[in-house]
Amino acid sequence: MSDGATARSRSRYPKLENFERPNVITTTTDFIFSWARSHSVFPFQYGLACCAIEMLSSGFCRFDIARYGMEIFRPTPRQCDLMIVAGTLNEKMAPVLKRLYDQMSEPKWVISMGACANSGGPFYDGYNVVNGVDKVVPVDVYIPGCPPRPEALFQGLLELQKKIQQHSFVAASPSVDGDIGGR
Amino acid sequence: MYDQFETAEPDEAVKLAQRRIEEASAEGAGSNLAGLTFNEVIVNMGPQHPSTHGVLRLVVTLDGELVKDVIPVVGYLHRCKEKLAEKRTYYQYIPITDRTEYLAGMNCEWGYVMTVEKLAGIRPTRRAEFIRVIMAELNRIASHLVAVGTFTADLAPLGTAMVFYMFRDREMILDLLEEASGARMMFNYFRFGGVRYDLPSGWVERCREVMRKFPACIDEYEALVNDNAIFLQRCVGKGVMTQRDVVDYAITGPNARASGVAHDLRRTHPYSVYPELEFDLPLGRHGDIYDRYQVRMDEMRQSVRIVEQALDMLPKGPVQIGTLRAPYAITPPPGACYAAQENPRGEYGTYIVSDGSRYPYRLKYRDPCFMNLQIFPKLLRGNKIADAVAISGSMDLVLGGIDR
Amino acid sequence: MRGLALEIGTNPLSLAEIIARLHATFAGELEELKPQEPDTVTGRCAAAKLKAVAARLRDQDEVGYGTLNLIAGVDYVTHMETVYHLYSWQTNTYLELHVVLPANDAQIDTVCDVWPSAEWLEREAWDMFGIRFLEHPDLRRILLKDDFVGHPLRKDYVDSIENHPHV
Repeated sequence: MSDGATARSRSRYPKLENFERPNVITTTTDFIFSWARSHSVFPFQYGLACCAIEMLSSGFCRFDIARYGMEIFRPTPRQCDLMIVAGTLNEKMAPVLKRLYDQMSEPKWVISMGACANSGGPFYDGYNVVNGVDKVVPVDVYIPGCPPRPEALFQGLLELQKKIQQHSFVAASPSVDGDIGGR
Repeated sequence: MYDQFETAEPDEAVKLAQRRIEEASAEGAGSNLAGLTFNEVIVNMGPQHPSTHGVLRLVVTLDGELVKDVIPVVGYLHRCKEKLAEKRTYYQYIPITDRTEYLAGMNCEWGYVMTVEKLAGIRPTRRAEFIRVIMAELNRIASHLVAVGTFTADLAPLGTAMVFYMFRDREMILDLLEEASGARMMFNYFRFGGVRYDLPSGWVERCREVMRKFPACIDEYEALVNDNAIFLQRCVGKGVMTQRDVVDYAITGPNARASGVAHDLRRTHPYSVYPELEFDLPLGRHGDIYDRYQVRMDEMRQSVRIVEQALDMLPKGPVQIGTLRAPYAITPPPGACYAAQENPRGEYGTYIVSDGSRYPYRLKYRDPCFMNLQIFPKLLRGNKIADAVAISGSMDLVLGGIDR
Repeated sequence: MRGLALEIGTNPLSLAEIIARLHATFAGELEELKPQEPDTVTGRCAAAKLKAVAARLRDQDEVGYGTLNLIAGVDYVTHMETVYHLYSWQTNTYLELHVVLPANDAQIDTVCDVWPSAEWLEREAWDMFGIRFLEHPDLRRILLKDDFVGHPLRKDYVDSIENHPHV
């Protein structure tokens, strides 16, 4: 009987176990994919309130978000990587936000733009206001301001690009949702 | 894990739509093609939608492409502003009024500051009155640029390119407002008895320069869109608002003026220094979507005219009255009053009840978009679903004002 | 323009004259009519008489209040008030009608059949204050979520965890 296991262990092809720890193959693929991912993020058009207008302004001529490869604002969460929550979240909207976040496919990131999305903002003591988007979805980058200037939004996007570039394919540990891929 | 394919329980609005379908079919008001049965579909244009300009939810009952009924659901941006007014002093509340109709912050602040000044019997300085008029009109231009720009952007997704030109020119105006007040959108500029800062040196010349260039920009926009056959086909004759509707539903602003009603608070209940300024009121004739668009374009030209006159007439002097003791702790005498001003969307006013303390007892907004949205189902019934976007865009709804 | 040509200010009367005409037509129903410069007349109306007064206010010849601008609920702890803000196109003036209601379980007739703009304004008053408008076509919450408990703009409202889980 041929010793299939030993034959396989002596083959010249990379083993599946090699992808459980970072090595030259995974770091190279990580670098290429993360570079591609971070420079062509598709944001989700999720403006709630006033910050949405600054988000729109950043997409147009003067502050050109297309320089960063992010001008494709898709209206459907299925096609997006990045959800920029711009505006105040309230109790009526919170289930909608959670649902849209769940409809995005992995890997996905969330930017909380503006004081209201960070922590409730000037409306923090309202009976209907959620004090921060991070009570509902996990946030990667917080951008302060009321409203943040488009340049501030760009700084947040650059920070997010740095974060995306640390994303790795190595199956470090399964996340809560059962997907593979490190975070 | 959350199951994305599980449909949620129908909520109140959808249940209402279902009840209305049952009642209509019970009365036999179905489609009239004999022998065929039609199912009416309830479609949700959800709170997240690229063309509803904010978190407006429309529960639309469709018969094919024809809209049978639409139920707008609002409240997805309700930020408890009226309750917050009772927890903030009059002075602390000024920045929050900015955020009601966030595209026209200066006008919104004025609507609040005006009521408190009326309650407390404060008259602003003359220079401040002119500066207020200039800022309000500049903000009116900026607001109309966004309104018309996003409206045309929705008709053909960014296809007309007009929105790019409009946002580019809006930056010129936002630069002026930023120089004067310190912020691009949430200005926090008006104070009781005047404005916060005087105009920086050279601002008047820069403003004149922008106003000199601006009418050519409006010509450019009209050249792009006014003769476009598809634009005309989608807009002319659709969404007609009659004068009866304007009276019944308390429609104000460009929506009312497009129907031929010459209601403009700057003329009918003049405030500040508007009686000394000359400007026309553009009126429409048919009250359809095209007229609402054209009225806004003409209003921008009139605003340029007002700003130029105000710059010429700008007197020297202080921008804040010096006799106000402790403006931070202003306490108007007990009483109630209502004052309104002409927002880019209509009559925007506040009704304030004061009990003599530093905190308002009750503050109620009269918001133009809230009133304008009530007529939306009536305008949309009988049209196609694609007209929902055109009609709601032409009515210029800002959810910050509707939901407060 | 088809239909009526709407003119503003065809019958400019001073506030005193308006008060005189309202006294004449609505004696006993509208009380405490006072002028508030520059363009408002304030008055009171009993809750039970509002239905009778509303349609006649709108259709009155010389000072017809054709438009309802605002319905504000106000919670004075001992009682509740709804304030109706009406606009007259002929005289270009406003009328501010105060209607006093009991502090709890306030009920009043709807004016939706007279002024259609009242529909959402009354829904908002119900939502925020719990003032019930009888025979309203569709009285449900407008700004808050459907399962919100309580009426937040009342002075005795306390923020609760069931209304505000993500605090």
